[in-house]
Amino acid sequence: MPTQLKAGDTPPVPVPTDVTRFFWEGVARHELLILRCQSCGHYVHHPRIVCSRCQSTDLAPEQVSGRGTLYSHTVVMQAFHPYFVDKLPYVLAVVELEEEPGLRLTTNIVDCPEDELRIGMPVEVAFTEVAPGLTLPLFRRAA
Amino acid sequence: MKTNDRVAAVGVGYSRTGRRLGLSSWELAVQAAKAAMDDAGMTPKDMDGVTVLWGVAGPAPAGLDVVEPMDFGYSLGINPLNWYAAPSPAPAYVAAALEAIAAIRAGFAHTVLTLRIINQRLSSRQEIASMAESGPTEATGEAQFTAPFGSVSPIFSIASLPAQRHMERFGTTEEQFGAHVVAQRYHASMNDDALFRDPLTIDDYLASRYIAKPVRLLDCDYPVDSASAIIFTTGDRARDWRKKPVWVESAALSSTRYLSFELIEDMNQNSPFHAAEQLWSRTDLTPDDVDCAQLYDGFTIITFQWLEALGFCGLGEAGPFVEEGNTRLGGKLPVNTDGGACNVGRRHGANFCIESVRQLRGECGERQVPDAEVAVWANATGPFSGAVLMTGD
Repeated sequence: MPTQLKAGDTPPVPVPTDVTRFFWEGVARHELLILRCQSCGHYVHHPRIVCSRCQSTDLAPEQVSGRGTLYSHTVVMQAFHPYFVDKLPYVLAVVELEEEPGLRLTTNIVDCPEDELRIGMPVEVAFTEVAPGLTLPLFRRAA
Repeated sequence: MKTNDRVAAVGVGYSRTGRRLGLSSWELAVQAAKAAMDDAGMTPKDMDGVTVLWGVAGPAPAGLDVVEPMDFGYSLGINPLNWYAAPSPAPAYVAAALEAIAAIRAGFAHTVLTLRIINQRLSSRQEIASMAESGPTEATGEAQFTAPFGSVSPIFSIASLPAQRHMERFGTTEEQFGAHVVAQRYHASMNDDALFRDPLTIDDYLASRYIAKPVRLLDCDYPVDSASAIIFTTGDRARDWRKKPVWVESAALSSTRYLSFELIEDMNQNSPFHAAEQLWSRTDLTPDDVDCAQLYDGFTIITFQWLEALGFCGLGEAGPFVEEGNTRLGGKLPVNTDGGACNVGRRHGANFCIESVRQLRGECGERQVPDAEVAVWANATGPFSGAVLMTGD
């Protein structure tokens, strides 16, 4: 990322660890990867080195469909970080992916009027370059 | 090993409290500790433990002179210490209280000073302005999966997302959130310690601006500089002090996930429900025995969750329960009789312990719940929480 960027030019930039790097590398390729237990099939997000269901440490990233439903949402009206000052209002949301009940991630819903947001509505991933060098898995309403 | 069957709260006190007092964390902590010792008629020689929750105050980011329990105990003259702890991260003041209660029950200490010291942070506008010339901010740890999407205030994840789901799932209305805000301001109007005492109407609530829908400014607790102190002791020593003891009848601490509020298993039924189940399993008392409840109000939805979790109403029924007037003084279950942190200032839950003690001593004057014998207080929400049931002497 160019060093002349200011805090207001980009959302907070994810700093991957050895355990989470696959996620962000996948997102950069427009692939949504979630860590999955190779022993019992449980998806583990946020990534950990052990499966909380069967305690296996044999975990590997697997690509998921990017389809899911809206679990909850909020229309943010006040900025708490300089990047979001001119992005208001924006929709912060939690999406449940179709691969497993309870498998959720934090995201934004884009291209949907506020009064049409409904918990349970189908959504799909929309990879978006939100700032130079930073792509995020945002979601939009699915057909 | 010799243990203690009973634990009592015997002294409570606050520091000066207000916006940008210019007092350091240490000054606030000393003031609160002295107030609690004075309330009990106690000296440092009578104590052998110190627990602290997040011991920082003073205007951030400067002035963060951390109050570390070993240092504070020595400096105040509590020496030697048999117990000291500073749980973090932890579900607000209740974590410091439970460290003390557990240590006393287990026989590790006999009399423990518990402290919560808190700063008024910079406002969001000040924080944004302070970053104007700096480079990109980093999202590390769990935040790498949340902050890039603008989940940059705890309001959004702790309050707005669960509140929205509560509304869509159960039909809860903004007027019902407002009924709680209005009721606890009414209680604050009878509390000399409250910072906000002018009555509010539901129209005032609905005119207050949104921070992140459906959460409004008036749903949020009020940032202040303050310290709170509560002293716990053994049953054997509980009657040696100035005031009537208030007994710990049951207590519970819970964690159901790490600090990813967005991803908790069920946004409307999480750690407080687990804590409440544990709390009631450790006593013969039931929700019907409770005379007043002091339930965390960092945001309105948290109080709603505790009403449901503790069994005062069914899952999803907090809205109607509050709107019907049950939580107002004179109602079935007066809630947040000091006015809550929205009105007495953010004490991260310590005010709810102090108000429980004062109600059970019968010290609350105009806002006293008649013949109060049982009180419950609860802190935090989402993936971590705790609750304590107390009885009068």
